[in-house]
Amino acid sequence: MPADLSLSLGAWHPELALSVGAMATLLCGVFIRRPFVPKLVAWLSLLWAAVGLHAATSPAAPFFGLITLDAISLVFRWIALGVVAIVALMVGSSRDVDSQWTAEYLSLLLLLGVGLMLMAEANHLLMAYLAMELVSLSSYVLVGLARDIRSSEASLKYILFGALSSGIMLFGMSLLYGLTQDLSFSGIATAIAGLPPSALGAVGMAAALMLAGVAYKISMVPFHMWTPDVYEGAPIPVTALLSVGPKAAGLALLLRLSGLFGPIWGPMSTALLVLTAITMTLGNLVALAQTNVKRLLAYSTIGQVGYILIGITVKSSAGTAAILIYLIAYLFMNLGAFACVVAVWNQTRDESLEAFRGLARRAPALAFCLTVFLLSLAGIPPLVGFLGKFFLFGSAIEAQRTGLAIAGILNSAIALYYYVNIVRLMYLHPSSTTEPVRAPLSLRLAVGVCAAGTILLGIFPSGLLAWIASVV
Amino acid sequence: MLLTGLLLIPLLGMLVILAMPKTAATSIRRVATAATALTFLLSLRILVGFQPGAAGFQFEQQLTWIPQLSASYHVGIDGISVPMILLTTLLALLASISSWTIGERQKEYFILYLLLEVGMLGTFIALDLFLFYVFWELVLVPMYFLIGIWGGGRREYSAFKFFVYTLAGSLFMLLGVLALYFHTHTFNLPMLAQLGPKLPVDLQHILFVAFFLGFAIKVPIFPFHTWLPDAHVDAPTPISVLLAGVLLKMGGYGFFRISYPIFPAGAQWFAVAMGTLGAINIVYGAFVAMAQTDFKKLVAYSSVSHMGFVLLGLASLTPEGMNGAMLQMFTHGIITGGMFLLVGVLYDRAHTRQLDAFGGLATRMPVYGAFLIFFSLASLGLPGLAGFVSEFLSLVGTFATHHVATSVAVIGIVVSAAYMLMVMQRILLGPLNEKWKSLPDMTARELAMLVPLTILVLAVGVYPLLVLGLQEPTVLALVQHITGS
Repeated sequence: MPADLSLSLGAWHPELALSVGAMATLLCGVFIRRPFVPKLVAWLSLLWAAVGLHAATSPAAPFFGLITLDAISLVFRWIALGVVAIVALMVGSSRDVDSQWTAEYLSLLLLLGVGLMLMAEANHLLMAYLAMELVSLSSYVLVGLARDIRSSEASLKYILFGALSSGIMLFGMSLLYGLTQDLSFSGIATAIAGLPPSALGAVGMAAALMLAGVAYKISMVPFHMWTPDVYEGAPIPVTALLSVGPKAAGLALLLRLSGLFGPIWGPMSTALLVLTAITMTLGNLVALAQTNVKRLLAYSTIGQVGYILIGITVKSSAGTAAILIYLIAYLFMNLGAFACVVAVWNQTRDESLEAFRGLARRAPALAFCLTVFLLSLAGIPPLVGFLGKFFLFGSAIEAQRTGLAIAGILNSAIALYYYVNIVRLMYLHPSSTTEPVRAPLSLRLAVGVCAAGTILLGIFPSGLLAWIASVV
Repeated sequence: MLLTGLLLIPLLGMLVILAMPKTAATSIRRVATAATALTFLLSLRILVGFQPGAAGFQFEQQLTWIPQLSASYHVGIDGISVPMILLTTLLALLASISSWTIGERQKEYFILYLLLEVGMLGTFIALDLFLFYVFWELVLVPMYFLIGIWGGGRREYSAFKFFVYTLAGSLFMLLGVLALYFHTHTFNLPMLAQLGPKLPVDLQHILFVAFFLGFAIKVPIFPFHTWLPDAHVDAPTPISVLLAGVLLKMGGYGFFRISYPIFPAGAQWFAVAMGTLGAINIVYGAFVAMAQTDFKKLVAYSSVSHMGFVLLGLASLTPEGMNGAMLQMFTHGIITGGMFLLVGVLYDRAHTRQLDAFGGLATRMPVYGAFLIFFSLASLGLPGLAGFVSEFLSLVGTFATHHVATSVAVIGIVVSAAYMLMVMQRILLGPLNEKWKSLPDMTARELAMLVPLTILVLAVGVYPLLVLGLQEPTVLALVQHITGS
């Protein structure tokens, strides 16, 4: 084995751990009847990956420059690992997940984790495309695993939209390759900088087409249409996964791609600015009318992605830092909210908002945690969501994009309505049943971890901020 | 450290109540009242140690919090905050006694109640803009639940309206906070008061408006006042007391602590608008109050009217006017707090607040009648009682600079005399409605809530230096800081 390849594999061994874990989990699920064995294998590989990430090194150009293991990708790798771990806890305890498929779920989840990490590390167009396809293919299967008609419909919709948008993206990449004769990001950036002004129109075309592919992944308007239907049809833990994992990885890729198009960034940023404002407004306005909690959270995700896009649009180190802080905040508060939905669904088999009526009486601790998550999503201090918004809006003001900050502010006020609406149902309304909600230990652990993250990182953020400041 | 104690005692009370069983309602009440009483005693200890003449901030404490943002846990007090702290701790104690009548979900109620007290006190002692904002927003959440769960009438609507209005205002303030931070790179309020005046004048104007939106909704200033009658009327009595007595003052305090010292150019530029808005508040609030048939709604609109004097005084930028504005916040707090308690006393017995439903109660409830007359007279500004001093000061101070606004505002005083006399007449005088002939007079618990306020209203009315002495040096320094003379 060549020396640099073994060096690369050494630095990449968290992903290796997840890949090996995925295979082993799948095989255990097939050959061993006891359900705890695949779970154990999956958790061991997650642990291995965490240890690996903790000791991660960053060689100059691993795998011949196909990927880059820089400091920013390290943050995204941690986010991907966190998403996979928390969703794994939810998969084990959700009644929405057929227990005979647990091993398949976990295996696909780990593979998807590898894809998420690769998306954040990609330094080469082919690698970016492969990583996105790995994430997409795993999620198509995960969405369709529930074996009811809605789940299959959602999966098919997801595949059709996905195929279309990755086709568009591939077309953009081929244009870019034709223009620059290069596939590596650094080579493309240099080549674009040297292109004559007459070719910039074609570059803009390529950029727009590639943006479409990423926009689909992060549910950015106008490529958001699949989101509510897929979120509604998928099993709840998978919905939770889709609402955070691919969003974070897509934004990581977008962050990297936005660095390639120096000469045409001016018009691109204007287009992004408009799309950002539309994305958050549309997500929040449509969320107001939802009565199904999964659809509501789907539109809320579109709104939240809109806020995060502010950080891309301003294209500054403050913006990048704000994106990372917000994504970490979003990881805890959004997954926490979904974990609470799982707990309620397990008991009531009801996805409508009505299921939350009087929850404060049936499950005071759960209702309190869900309130914390929702208020954090709404951006109320001292919770971590406020901190994220503070930095995002701050980056907009610093970059003289006050209009964007005002759009964010107005949207936050609109969003308060539907977040507080759930709180209102839980606390201000009597419940029709008095049956307490019982959640299995793993689910309580997921809720507890997310609640602790949301509250503690909100009140004592200096450790997180110092870490983020050291990578951007 | 003493100031931190003001926050720690209610927090500790919260934790104790959290550990108690739901069914132990009586013990929960006792713990909550004990916590508010201890907080009040601590605030008296702070009052004893406070030196009004000394420059700068006292009892200061600063701990590193978020070094990356240069935000710190920085608290301290001066003459502007001391009266507000005393007002808060006193009203929180009295309202917690009034809360004994809360009949359901006592555990949740008192946890949220104590959290509310932490938020209110934190707002008044914070010397760091980031910390101030956190406390400012912290007040919203418990208030939403307190109105929404234990309120009456359209409580859900009112609680939500309160939440959305104030949050929308604070979000604009947040924009101001961010912009201010990126121009000065500090959240330290004393330092901002030095750096802010050096900012370009245009920027000061914009930032003043951003903060104004946040504070104006809280005060509330016409036309942002529509949340107030709903929230005040539908909240349970003790919460109405805190809403009117303390929460409205957070808006006024914001002007004194943030807008005026940091953006003096903005304050001068906005003075005419401020005076006009003040006059509108006074006259509009008074006329709308006069048209009410619901006792509580009438008191709520009278708050809109009386808070107008704070704006009027602020607009003057003279020592008399500003002192009047500051004093008005204190006197309105104790008078309106008392009025809302009196509304609650009557409502607990009759379960109606319609003014027309009463009559002749003075013979059935002579003690109640005496208190109602006393507080009504204080509210309409009878000389010798607290309200007169502050309204007079703010009118005198403002007349020198804003003739028209001041002259218009005087109409409001006449109208407020009219509606307050009408309240007394409809409730206390005339033939006794047979339905109420067995109403009992006030209990010892209710007397315990009202007597301290009565004494205070009289004492400040007769000897206003009691409060003026605390605030005057700081207010004078502020006026000098703004006008440069």
